[in-house]
Amino acid sequence: MKFKYFKMLVLLLAVVLMVLPARQVFAAKPIVLGCPLSTAFLYGWAAERGFRLAVDEINAKGGVNVKGEMRPFAVEVIDTRDLEPGVPVSDALLAVEKLILDKKADFILGGPIRSEAALAAMPLLSKYQKVSILTTGVLTPKYHAMVAEQYDKFKYCFRIHGEAKNLVGEMFANFTELKEKYGFNNLFIIAQDVSHARGAAQVMNDVAVKKGWNVTGVEIYPTGATDFSMGLLKAKQTDSQIINIWMDMPESAILLKQWYEMQIPALPFGSTLAAAEQPGFWKATDGKGQYTLCNVVNAGNAPSEATPWTMKFYNAYAKKWGIEPEGLGSSSSYMAVYVLRDAIERAGSLDSDKVIAELEKTDVAGVYGRLRFDPKSHQVIPATDPKEGAVGSILQWQNGKRVVVYPKSIAKGSIQLPPWMKMGK
Amino acid sequence: MDILIYGTINSVTLALYAIGFAMVYGVSRLPNFAHGALYVVSGFITWSFLNSLGLNYLLSIILALIATAIIGALIYQFVLIRVRGMEISEIIASYAIGLAILEGFRWGGFKGLTYTLPAFIEGSVEIAGVSVDYQRLLVVGIGAAVVGLLWLFTRYTRIGLAMRGMAQDERAALMLGIDSDLIAVVAMGFGSMLAGLAAVLLLPLGNIVVEAGYNILILAIAVCIVGGLGSWMGAVLAAFLIGFAQILTVVYLGAHYQMVVALLAIILTLILRPSGLFGQQKELEERV
Repeated sequence: MKFKYFKMLVLLLAVVLMVLPARQVFAAKPIVLGCPLSTAFLYGWAAERGFRLAVDEINAKGGVNVKGEMRPFAVEVIDTRDLEPGVPVSDALLAVEKLILDKKADFILGGPIRSEAALAAMPLLSKYQKVSILTTGVLTPKYHAMVAEQYDKFKYCFRIHGEAKNLVGEMFANFTELKEKYGFNNLFIIAQDVSHARGAAQVMNDVAVKKGWNVTGVEIYPTGATDFSMGLLKAKQTDSQIINIWMDMPESAILLKQWYEMQIPALPFGSTLAAAEQPGFWKATDGKGQYTLCNVVNAGNAPSEATPWTMKFYNAYAKKWGIEPEGLGSSSSYMAVYVLRDAIERAGSLDSDKVIAELEKTDVAGVYGRLRFDPKSHQVIPATDPKEGAVGSILQWQNGKRVVVYPKSIAKGSIQLPPWMKMGK
Repeated sequence: MDILIYGTINSVTLALYAIGFAMVYGVSRLPNFAHGALYVVSGFITWSFLNSLGLNYLLSIILALIATAIIGALIYQFVLIRVRGMEISEIIASYAIGLAILEGFRWGGFKGLTYTLPAFIEGSVEIAGVSVDYQRLLVVGIGAAVVGLLWLFTRYTRIGLAMRGMAQDERAALMLGIDSDLIAVVAMGFGSMLAGLAAVLLLPLGNIVVEAGYNILILAIAVCIVGGLGSWMGAVLAAFLIGFAQILTVVYLGAHYQMVVALLAIILTLILRPSGLFGQQKELEERV
């Protein structure tokens, strides 16, 4: 009889021991990551997938250690639609406010994605004292400039992906190489009529002129435009050799198809060129995407071996979502969750000021290099060597593959010209 | 020459966007604000037949056009017929249906570069030194053929004549034994099919995106207002006016004013001649 009770006691104890740790994890209040994203667009859904992958990995290992208590992450996404034409900025602000007030978000990650909306959300984040890490879209240098200018007010705002000035620098490094190799000197700029693209086009224009390039034209297309023939013909008529494109709308696929069909003798070199970033671009253009170059902002959004973590992330993403990382927002969103987890664990608290202080101390070898924030502007520190900072990635479509051609430290190939350009030179 | 070629392509594109909308309004005085959604529906149905069912491309297109026509007719028969004659209700109901369709696609995950249709003919040709792809030339050819066939259809077929009768005077048509509801259903189906035809011709130039539904509706309305609501030929003429104005704007002012042209055309038409170029709806009121 006593033995029977003893067996029951052992069994009960075993059940308790098995259930207790799990209950501790699941009973703990989740840390809510509020993600305002334009989910119908690449930069939105890619970011969401990055977040969910990182959150699943972290939760599978027990969650976040907040002063000894293991708490899981929970993701709350609201579609801001801020990348869509005609949607007012105020809609994105309402989405952010809803995440904070209704969904009780502890942190804001991701967007808003459109620069105009992200800038407008800064005072809101300040008002609610919510730490935010931008991970996708927003390229305007004004964002981190505002943090630096009014640190006490906007100290809650971080950005973990590259910004327009970095991108311009990376593009000119390639332009210079093309100039030296092929004698290119004529640059035509095509941009979408949105803040970051207009701003970037202006910066490109100014920098190009300073560097001795001949800017043959600047065309700004409205969001949703579906015919680019006249702009392309202008590029051809002005003997342009590079067409620099800043366009995140899906219709950019039409532009690149037209470029191929019309055999414009100028190399399409884009940034935030959403259509060309995606693995499906080749099939979508029936191979007419060949030779298109685009800056995917951070390594890991295209295959490379920037760090040991790059392909590990790349493969995990492909396994979970059935598609390779698709473009801007994939690797940066994934890393933002890890960086935030580390900061929370070091702070031992969700208190904004403590987490900000720890985020400023971030120094981790991530998917796209060494990740550190500038303590004054909260912008991730860029570099061309992954051991020094966050590296970018410029890819070119070559025979159906996205081949990283820049920076040289992680490149898998070099830039190729279309045959109709080689013949013309 | 480039202005002439691409101006014509742009104009025919606009005409294709608008002709279905103009036809439905012309026959049944129904502003079909689900027109853009039906354009997108047709694209996705064609894609599904082609990729999910593995049907032949031409067969996929024919079946998609029939399906779109049926969807359009069902929308009329089950929803719009109940509010017919109440203009504001017609607009609200049709826009709500369009919104539900488009947002339904978005909610269902129809996004990204997965949804593309192949071009009918690959390659390009140089016309007077201007490079044009075959698909765009095909758009112009088929667009012109559609306008011609529509003209013949409305003059030499019983249904076409009934449609014209309805368009001219619905009460008189009723007295002559024309079933106005039946003709309105047919017109809605036919208009939806024309939206579908525009989709299968133009979507191979890019990819199928939900947002296209909204853009096409705006452009179709702009063309119809300038041409005169209810006038099919007015819509074609307006498409050429706006199409060339857009191309000239891109060449001489800048591409970012391109969309302003269509909206400015609406405003100017409403101020100067509310009935449009060929519209008769408000002519009497204007005279008064």
